[in-house]
Amino acid sequence: MGEGMRRLITLFCAAFALASALAARAPETAGAPSDLRLPDLDNHLVDPFQTAPGAKAIVFLFVSVECPISNRYAPEMRRVHDAFAPRGVAFRLVYPNPAESPAMIRAHVKDYNLPGGALRDPKQALATFAQATITPEAAIYDVLNRRVYLGRIDDRYVSLGLERPAATRHDLQDALVATLAGTRVSAPTAPAVGCYIADFAR
Amino acid sequence: MIGAFTGFGAFARFGAFARFDAVARFGAFLLVATVANAQSPVTFSRDVAPILFARCAPCHHPGGSAPFSLLTYESTKPRASLISAATRTRFMPPWKAEPVPGGWVGQSRLSDAEIGLLQRWVDGGAVEGDPRDLPSPPRIAPGWQLGKPDLVVSPAQAFTLPGGGTDVFRIFVIPLPVDRVRYVRGLEFRSGNPRVVHHANIRVDKTRASRRADEADPEAGYDGLISRSAMYPDGHFLGWTPGQAAPILPRGLAWRLEANSDLVVELHMQPSGKPEEVEPSIGLFFTDDPPERTPLMLRLGRQSIDIPPGEARYTTTDAFVLPVDVDVVAVQPHAHYRAREAHGTATLPDGTVRRLIDITDWDFRWQHVYRYAAPFTLPKGTRLAMQFVFDNSAGNPRNPDQPPARVRWGQRSRDEMGDLWIQALPKNDADLDTLERAFRPKVLAEDVFGYEREIEREPTDVALHDDVAQIYLQLGRPFEAVAHFEASARLNPASAATHFNLGTALVVAGRLDQAQAHFNEALSIRPGYPQALNNLGSIFLQRGDAGEALRHFREAIRLEPANVEALANLARALAASGDFTAAMDAVQRAAKLAPPEPLASSLREQLTLYRQRRTR
Repeated sequence: MGEGMRRLITLFCAAFALASALAARAPETAGAPSDLRLPDLDNHLVDPFQTAPGAKAIVFLFVSVECPISNRYAPEMRRVHDAFAPRGVAFRLVYPNPAESPAMIRAHVKDYNLPGGALRDPKQALATFAQATITPEAAIYDVLNRRVYLGRIDDRYVSLGLERPAATRHDLQDALVATLAGTRVSAPTAPAVGCYIADFAR
Repeated sequence: MIGAFTGFGAFARFGAFARFDAVARFGAFLLVATVANAQSPVTFSRDVAPILFARCAPCHHPGGSAPFSLLTYESTKPRASLISAATRTRFMPPWKAEPVPGGWVGQSRLSDAEIGLLQRWVDGGAVEGDPRDLPSPPRIAPGWQLGKPDLVVSPAQAFTLPGGGTDVFRIFVIPLPVDRVRYVRGLEFRSGNPRVVHHANIRVDKTRASRRADEADPEAGYDGLISRSAMYPDGHFLGWTPGQAAPILPRGLAWRLEANSDLVVELHMQPSGKPEEVEPSIGLFFTDDPPERTPLMLRLGRQSIDIPPGEARYTTTDAFVLPVDVDVVAVQPHAHYRAREAHGTATLPDGTVRRLIDITDWDFRWQHVYRYAAPFTLPKGTRLAMQFVFDNSAGNPRNPDQPPARVRWGQRSRDEMGDLWIQALPKNDADLDTLERAFRPKVLAEDVFGYEREIEREPTDVALHDDVAQIYLQLGRPFEAVAHFEASARLNPASAATHFNLGTALVVAGRLDQAQAHFNEALSIRPGYPQALNNLGSIFLQRGDAGEALRHFREAIRLEPANVEALANLARALAASGDFTAAMDAVQRAAKLAPPEPLASSLREQLTLYRQRRTR
């Protein structure tokens, strides 16, 4: 049953790829809202799920300019990006705090050498859709725009004020490996530690 | 009759306590009821701001040591849930010590009622309320908190902290442009980068040992061990943690800063996510008043710590009995990642136990100096004791070894330590001397464990061998001193100083022939080495060869006219050959050089003796 299902999806995707040169990922096949648009740093409204041809997955990294834990993850976000971007994974930085202006975000991306294009989510529309509640938090959507992972980047932070000297589980990386291999993500959610997106709501 | 009285007393006390407890609970209930019954939500302006201003604003203000300000509703609202979570778990404010009678200086711990209020504010939507309810924000002057310093210093170059990785510990050595003895009544540390500087431990080095270690590292500061010669000056803590400024010292308690000393600043830094420039500055406040009383730092703790992997409750204890009365001013527990609890007690001669400090949720990030708001006297015979508990299991997320490994004592953060420093202030210098004499052998014996441990790990570190050999000499264990100086000489055979040190230890050990050989070796490497000539002379004098002794002492003095030891020895050699007049002359030349104690009194004794012999 499962085997037959997977083959069906594979066939469907192949057909779609042939049909559309623009998007290898299939926006309308799963739960992504077709009307969700977020402003980029030039205030152009864009579809956050829109990716370059051939993308096999998309990662939303919910971050904020002044959250210390979110910032401390910058090198790890860069590392994961550099390992998986060449393998067809698209990365988007998502800033859910409406108080963070495009200029602040541009400086932030530059200072912290953050990976991926940046989008603003001033009404937390994407955060609500992805059910992200924390910065930093990662959400992975697969080729069918199904959310396959939501949660922490790794397990370095156990809770506020309780931190491991080094991570022992690399949840985001493991989930990406599974997604690219076409296997199920063994831990599809893991609680993130950091600043609360709910506090950014006006 | 007596029995009845006791019974009555017990009953009365019980009654009073019961009533008091009930009143207290009732009071708390009333407070809650007021807020809830009035149907008025908890507001920022009326309820939350007073707590934040009093407990959080000392760090959380613009330019403060915390990453964001909590002085306005606008800056607080976007962090409401964070405040709720951080206070509920008591991660913030970072005050780990349980309350003590009389309280701590600068205590920022929140009460259960205050934490409850913050939770209700967030649960109720974190509303602002009426801005007219807002108390006036605390006045926090920008810049130096203790006033205008008399001297401000910084490391010669800024250090660049990488953006990623775990905590970094690094030592910066700052030469002080101070050309005479000064008395210091205050020292203020400014991190220069509150995002990453987590705490600072500051010591003073009168020698050049720390400076050499810094110069050997091409980048700013150095990564390594704190030199033995870098010390807390005159028993004063000089640490800094966010929100904790050491106050200006009371009159008569300043510490003595020798000319041309170096500040040794150990920084604990936490990467921020991007490379950060770190350039702290330190302000010094001087006074002309020398100290009237001098404290002594009593360090309790074992350097034989050896924790098996997986051990979840490893306990280390230590104790010391006070030989004099002291005032206890402050304490500082120090441990690394695996510690979980830190306790200190004082058991008075009458059996009363006073708790000095209790931390049941140790976090190495918050190495506060805990100062008693009301310092107290402990009488002679009081037993000071410490107990630290470590969790070296996989269940301790802070454990740097996953899977857990055996861990032993060491200064580096991957090793463990467990020390309780107690700042004890004796009544006068005579008591200080008694206390020091009783305490030093204990702490030196503990240091030996630590050094032997470090040498096991770094068997080719010459400085470690030299240091521990000096400690063995101070402890009256010359044979162990000889063994370590021999190791040093094997590692560094071309060093005249090493052969000199070995020769000196051999003299103490009574092995004069070998000593002579090493002094000769030192002289062949460095011809005209005055100290070696002097010690060689002493060997001849001990053997009864006054002529050879005189020749060596005269040569040492010719090369170094201000060599007090050689002058004193010359006097001895002259006296041994019967020339008391010349001996007196040599002693007087030495005394004119104003040598420190105990040399000065020894010279006075020599002079008296020779005068008696001459007139006899």
